[in-house]
Amino acid sequence: MIVLALDTATSACSAALWRDGAILARRLAPMARGQSEALLPMVAAVMAEAGLGFGGLDLLAVTVGPGTFTGIRIGLAAARGLALASGLPLAGITTPEAVAAAIPAAERAGRTVVVAIESKREDLWAQAFTADLAPLGPPAAMALAAAAALAPGDVVVAGDAADRVLALRPDALAATAPGWPDAAGVAELAARHWAAGTALPPDPLYLRPADVTLAGAAPR
Amino acid sequence: MRILGIETSCDETAAAVVTGEGEILADVVLSQLAEHRPFGGVVPEIAARAHLEHVDRLVAEAMSRAGLGYAQLDAVAATGGPGLIGGVMVGVATGKAIALAAGKPFLAINHLEGHALTARLTHKLAFPYLLLLASGGHCQLLAVLGVGEYRRLGSTIDDAAGEAFDKVAKMLDLGYPGGPAVEKAATSGDPARFALPRPMKGKPNCDFSFSGLKNAVRLLIAALPQPVTRQDAADVAAGFQAAVAESVADRTRRALAEFRTRWPDGTGLVVAGGVAANGALRQALIAEATAAGLPFIAPPLKLCTDNAAMIAWAGVERFRLGLTDGLDFAPRPRWPLDPKAAPLKGAGVKA
Repeated sequence: MIVLALDTATSACSAALWRDGAILARRLAPMARGQSEALLPMVAAVMAEAGLGFGGLDLLAVTVGPGTFTGIRIGLAAARGLALASGLPLAGITTPEAVAAAIPAAERAGRTVVVAIESKREDLWAQAFTADLAPLGPPAAMALAAAAALAPGDVVVAGDAADRVLALRPDALAATAPGWPDAAGVAELAARHWAAGTALPPDPLYLRPADVTLAGAAPR
Repeated sequence: MRILGIETSCDETAAAVVTGEGEILADVVLSQLAEHRPFGGVVPEIAARAHLEHVDRLVAEAMSRAGLGYAQLDAVAATGGPGLIGGVMVGVATGKAIALAAGKPFLAINHLEGHALTARLTHKLAFPYLLLLASGGHCQLLAVLGVGEYRRLGSTIDDAAGEAFDKVAKMLDLGYPGGPAVEKAATSGDPARFALPRPMKGKPNCDFSFSGLKNAVRLLIAALPQPVTRQDAADVAAGFQAAVAESVADRTRRALAEFRTRWPDGTGLVVAGGVAANGALRQALIAEATAAGLPFIAPPLKLCTDNAAMIAWAGVERFRLGLTDGLDFAPRPRWPLDPKAAPLKGAGVKA
């Protein structure tokens, strides 16, 4: 199965082509902004590098959040546009699952996994998983203290807000994995979920209602 | 030639397919009025969420109505700005992705250029012409000389005209959007009962200002017996509408004179934007165009307010000239049509 995956949901931008466990091509760059410019050229680059057309793909995949609202929308709009014009199916993957799956098994062994994603507010997005990556609850918005108290005992922490949690949990292990999803990992998760029928629909997971600020009300 | 157009820069999600001959094969618009009405204005985050929720479905519907597959398109055009950036990013990402998957060129369209070129879609109008663009987000007078070639003759220095209508409607509790609500109330009102200022009237430039008028209306309403009676509200609405019409007509008269002098071969006065639907304003503008000896051209309202047919058509015009854009195009919250025009103090995005 050949999967094209995208991620712009947090503080990075990536695109990858994956076939049955092998990464055919990948582009990834950490970036807090600029995904709108970077994402589609990355997709074009991995397709060109692998010498594939969209007709040669089996599945599209994208992270649906939680993360930055703008980033979630860029990834989803691009993925849904690709799906529309190519007729390919599209699988949604949550950002905490993608981040957790990138933690080496040796770091997860015997520990609860806590993923903390930056929300650019006082609270953050967090989710806990067992050592073998079964979710212990849904991803949720929570105060930093609640995220730090999400799992007792031995924990390994990952995500782009991991440092904030680790400051309150000096006992915890900091994961060596990057704090953002990698499209290659997203592709692998998507292939597995697609086969199992457990992929999410490509709909945004904002976890917070829209802020009501009127257009033009800001000082200029 | 067949171009798909996508529009997501404010509170309408829209998709359309237009041919090189100007035939509109499909034109679908989804208004977000209901989502924003409780707030009396457009909420950017709500707008961005709604665009993502609906844009792919609307594109699919437009393609289906046009009876086309993506391989039959020549290019994909999307509004690249100016506007509410969260929504623009959704449309741009969607457009780029469709272009990439279909193997077609991508065109990033200036939303204002979409409005500016609509008269060429609807009336086959030749360059140059004078454009009054008056909407909830913009108020400016532009000489339209060619594709990508504009001279700004005047612009608002504070609020857009439509914004003033919205705010006055809110003060009078007339509902949202304000333009149609104020116009409806004004039909039973006396425009001469209250003396309201005619902003900028007689000033030597072609600029607009609606902030002072809005404040005058606020003070006037505060001085009325409370709660404001239906008749008082109607008279205020009529007075406000007459003041806007007179001010815009005065500014347009000056712009027409300048336009006639600098471009004697000018072909008409074109209006675009939702405010162009206002009957009182339209009558005043017809009188100004007639006095200047130019045809008055108003595209049908559906193509005057935000829509994707104008984006697809601007795409046709730009594609013909080879003006395609890369997949690395960066959405632009501000994107003046005449970048060389001197910045106006406080005008911001509306200039």
